[in-house]
Amino acid sequence: MKKYTIFITLMLTGGLLFAQNIPSITLKNLNGKSINVQKLSKSKNVKVLAFWATWCVPCINELDAISEVYEDWQDETNMELIAISTDDSRTKKRIRPLVNGKDWEYEILLDDNQDLKRALNISVLPHLLVTKNGKIVYRKTSYTPGSEDELYEIIQKYTN
Amino acid sequence: MRKIIISLNFVFFGLILNAQLLDNLSIGLESNTVWYNNDSETGDFFDTANNDSDKHIRSNSYLKIDYNFLESFTASVQIESYEPFALLNYSKSYEGTNLGTYSLNYRNSKLNITAGHFYSQFGSGLVLRNWEDRQLGINNALQGGKIVYDPVSFISLTALYGKQRVGFTTSEGEIFGFNSELDAASIFDFKNTSLEIGLSYVGRKEETTFLEPSFNELTNSLSGRVDYYQNNFYSNAEYVIKSDDAIKQGGQLSNRLVKPGNAFLFNTGYSKRGFGIDATFRRLENMNFFSERNAAGNVFNESSINYIPGLTKQHDYLLTNIFVYQAQSTVNLDTSQSGEIGGQIDLFYKIKKETFLGGKYGTKIAFNFSYWAGLDGDYTQDNPDAGILPNYEVGLLGFGKKYFSDFSIEIRKKWTPKWRSIFYFVNQSYNKKVVEGSGAMINSNIGVIESTHRLGNGKSIRLEVQMLNSDSTKHDWTGGTIEYNINSRFSVYANDIYNKGSDTNTEKTHFFNLGGSYTKGATRLGINYGRQRAGLLCVGGVCRFVAEATGLTANLTMSF
Repeated sequence: MKKYTIFITLMLTGGLLFAQNIPSITLKNLNGKSINVQKLSKSKNVKVLAFWATWCVPCINELDAISEVYEDWQDETNMELIAISTDDSRTKKRIRPLVNGKDWEYEILLDDNQDLKRALNISVLPHLLVTKNGKIVYRKTSYTPGSEDELYEIIQKYTN
Repeated sequence: MRKIIISLNFVFFGLILNAQLLDNLSIGLESNTVWYNNDSETGDFFDTANNDSDKHIRSNSYLKIDYNFLESFTASVQIESYEPFALLNYSKSYEGTNLGTYSLNYRNSKLNITAGHFYSQFGSGLVLRNWEDRQLGINNALQGGKIVYDPVSFISLTALYGKQRVGFTTSEGEIFGFNSELDAASIFDFKNTSLEIGLSYVGRKEETTFLEPSFNELTNSLSGRVDYYQNNFYSNAEYVIKSDDAIKQGGQLSNRLVKPGNAFLFNTGYSKRGFGIDATFRRLENMNFFSERNAAGNVFNESSINYIPGLTKQHDYLLTNIFVYQAQSTVNLDTSQSGEIGGQIDLFYKIKKETFLGGKYGTKIAFNFSYWAGLDGDYTQDNPDAGILPNYEVGLLGFGKKYFSDFSIEIRKKWTPKWRSIFYFVNQSYNKKVVEGSGAMINSNIGVIESTHRLGNGKSIRLEVQMLNSDSTKHDWTGGTIEYNINSRFSVYANDIYNKGSDTNTEKTHFFNLGGSYTKGATRLGINYGRQRAGLLCVGGVCRFVAEATGLTANLTMSF
């Protein structure tokens, strides 16, 4: 148990020291086109990868809140949000009508057997990754109303 | 186990010296700890699975490490710990601390090869799906090898072999799989159109103890699929057949009831900006498929090869989740069951801003209707004395006894920049006997009003009021939630549901919860004290029965 504690402590301190690379995993978008997430995030502009699901209320609330200010964010920082749905085959069918019904402008990628979610060791939704030049510069989980403002400060910080 | 931890420590310490190498490291930690209490109202703590009433404090922990090296390789391990016993309602096969999964993966533009544990899914999962859900206690990864080969951009071929993970051991049965996907639209270079065709084979080989089995050791299943999309319209269909296999009856594998299975799934929809409609139809007949025949009907959903979720709307509130439907794919001659037939329709609509109903900010509406029934047919009980074999004959499209229906409407309304509300109404019919094994049909109406008020500086308050009225004298519930977000990091909440009805399990008992959470970046710590209602815990359409329990829970999740 003691060893385990040491290990965890090491891990925690280690966690603060590095900017992790996005793994080379290919997902499909809603038009059936394959998109490599690593290539997508290798950009000098900030890309936000937002992991969500149709059944996750805080995820929907967060994406709804961002969609209201999305145009301003894009104009000011050239950022892009990619909403990565982790819905499995049970609820996957609901993605397209939900996204259109909500009038979201995000690129949607499908991670239906959670390969990317697992590779990035994400265990709870919502989970956001702020990436730049293929590296994760910031991660955050859970959503409370208004926390999108803090996210925007981080995006601005990494915008040249 | 200790050796693993020590060596990992060394590996990790080595890595920490070289920050560059660390860029290729990904780590996830999750720990769920519960201190179970004796409850004067609902009884003392007792764990039936381990026949234990002493170990009140238990913890399920998961540490997963992924490391990418030499551009194309990824090594992955997951260490799991269930100490001193697993949390209540988990399978006994999760015991102690051990290596849960490990794998080595090589990937280039055409090949993707994995040795060790892997998660795979063919089509919608009706023939094969390996997945992990820690809350449900499901991890049915295959241990073996998998090769995915994409000879050209529009063809993908997969071959796999493995034994299924069951706790910290593997299944007796072996799984063989082959999958092919063809992206026809890109061959013809269609614009705004996608046409994909898929074919899969999954075989399960398990020895049998029957001296003269009337079925093969190898059971085969085949799936054919078409997925079409053009502009705003889409449609997809899947048909699955499963070869003759022995069916479990009355807890025993029967050499006299040997039948094939099949499934049909059809989905279509249309959507454009501000509007979406989607309809699904599915029919299942004898579609249970396990890596061990005798695992059929196990309450922990262990050893399942295919994925058969309940296709109903997954509701988000406490009272909308009292009666949850579970897909019925099992054959049970006693209750004249051999599968299910039904479907659901979803509709999403946004009423435009600056209209009478839309108001200043627009109004978002979501509507769902689902209906599920048994397969209509003739069911014959086993009668060896009269020389009658057990059997069933069902029609192709006959709807039998009603199992479940659910009509729901959700209205999301933003009043001012600071105020928003959700109105939720559900009308449900739930055949308790079919889903839970006993009881009658319960018809209920559930209403929820939720409001969120932003107070500025990241502060906000959220309130929920819920009501459930049913035609049964046993169920008449009220409930509520209050949540206060102090800032984007700290949040506290309290909720309670209470049944005024005469249901013996829940009558006049407050199922309350108090808790708080602290979030910083990708680290979250949640603490909760409360009483858990006995019932179905459902995640992703798969349900597990959980017993009543009272206690203090701490959940920690971190990802790097």
